[in-house]
Amino acid sequence: MAILPILKFPDPLLKERSAPVTGVDDGVSSVIVDLLDTMRASPGGVGIAAPQLGILKRIVVVDVSAHRRGGQEQNHGLLVLVNPEILARGGKQLVREGCMSVPDYTANVQRAQWVLVDALDRDGKQTILEAIGFEAVAIQHEMDHLDGILFLDRVVSVKTDLFRRKKYR
Amino acid sequence: MGHFTIGVVGKDRPGIVAEVSRILFELGCNIEDSTCTILSGQFAMILVIGHPKLQAVTEVDPAFDDVRSHMGLMVTVHALKEGEVVREKTFSGHPHIISVYGADRPGIVYNVTRELAMRKVNITDLNTQVVGAKDRPVYVMVLEADIPESVDMKELEKVFDRIKKDLGVSISLRPIETLEL
Repeated sequence: MAILPILKFPDPLLKERSAPVTGVDDGVSSVIVDLLDTMRASPGGVGIAAPQLGILKRIVVVDVSAHRRGGQEQNHGLLVLVNPEILARGGKQLVREGCMSVPDYTANVQRAQWVLVDALDRDGKQTILEAIGFEAVAIQHEMDHLDGILFLDRVVSVKTDLFRRKKYR
Repeated sequence: MGHFTIGVVGKDRPGIVAEVSRILFELGCNIEDSTCTILSGQFAMILVIGHPKLQAVTEVDPAFDDVRSHMGLMVTVHALKEGEVVREKTFSGHPHIISVYGADRPGIVYNVTRELAMRKVNITDLNTQVVGAKDRPVYVMVLEADIPESVDMKELEKVFDRIKKDLGVSISLRPIETLEL
């Protein structure tokens, strides 16, 4: 139950693959609380993955409901995804992403418009859910962290897709 | 610790970055920030470099004499005072994209940027190009700007509507929606 420091690149833990958890026990629950506390303490933050706190477990949380555009689209509000897997994806969208672990840049990243995700929820119950739009982007971005992939790894063009961040919140 | 800005402009060809960075490496400089682009076949690069000891332009500038004469590059070196190297980015306001396009004619950039300057809007990126067929050139300007809280957006859109009519261009203004993840 704490706001933890967010690892910044080039911290090598950000490039590691995280391990699945065996179930939602007290340890996992307390990681979830730390993720929520830390995400909510970060201005504008709509998602965070456990490895960003140096915890190499396959846990992410996403909540786009407070985002100016994401909140207007269909969304689930707060989502806790443990051991998430993308079962299917469709469509394409280009969205500008920022990452608390790569604070100097934002980038246009191509993501699927729609994803079907299988995960355990915060009570350890198996759930399958669909996400579209910004929520789908947030899920894909956070799940990339579980495999040691940063949005910089997905930039296609320096000229058109990568932006120096001109302003810090 | 001394800091300098270095500007390099010249006809584009392979090897410019390698030559410039060799000179900087041999001087013991650290490239702290840089960007480059090619405009109409002209390569342009700007760098901010740091050096643990060197402070004066005269200690850095002559190192580029060779590329000036052999590669035809224009190189300018400028010393930065302490405190001029800014790492904290503290603009206030909301980032927006403004795109303007229409038949090429004088004054498009000026008319739009003058209105922005009057409202203390900071332009953080600007890209202009002439595209389209030779006999029907289209001017395209895309700029990124930080619009302060105090700007009346309705009024700004009205001003843009007037420019649209006066110059026969299209203008769109939209916030940059970044997902903070």
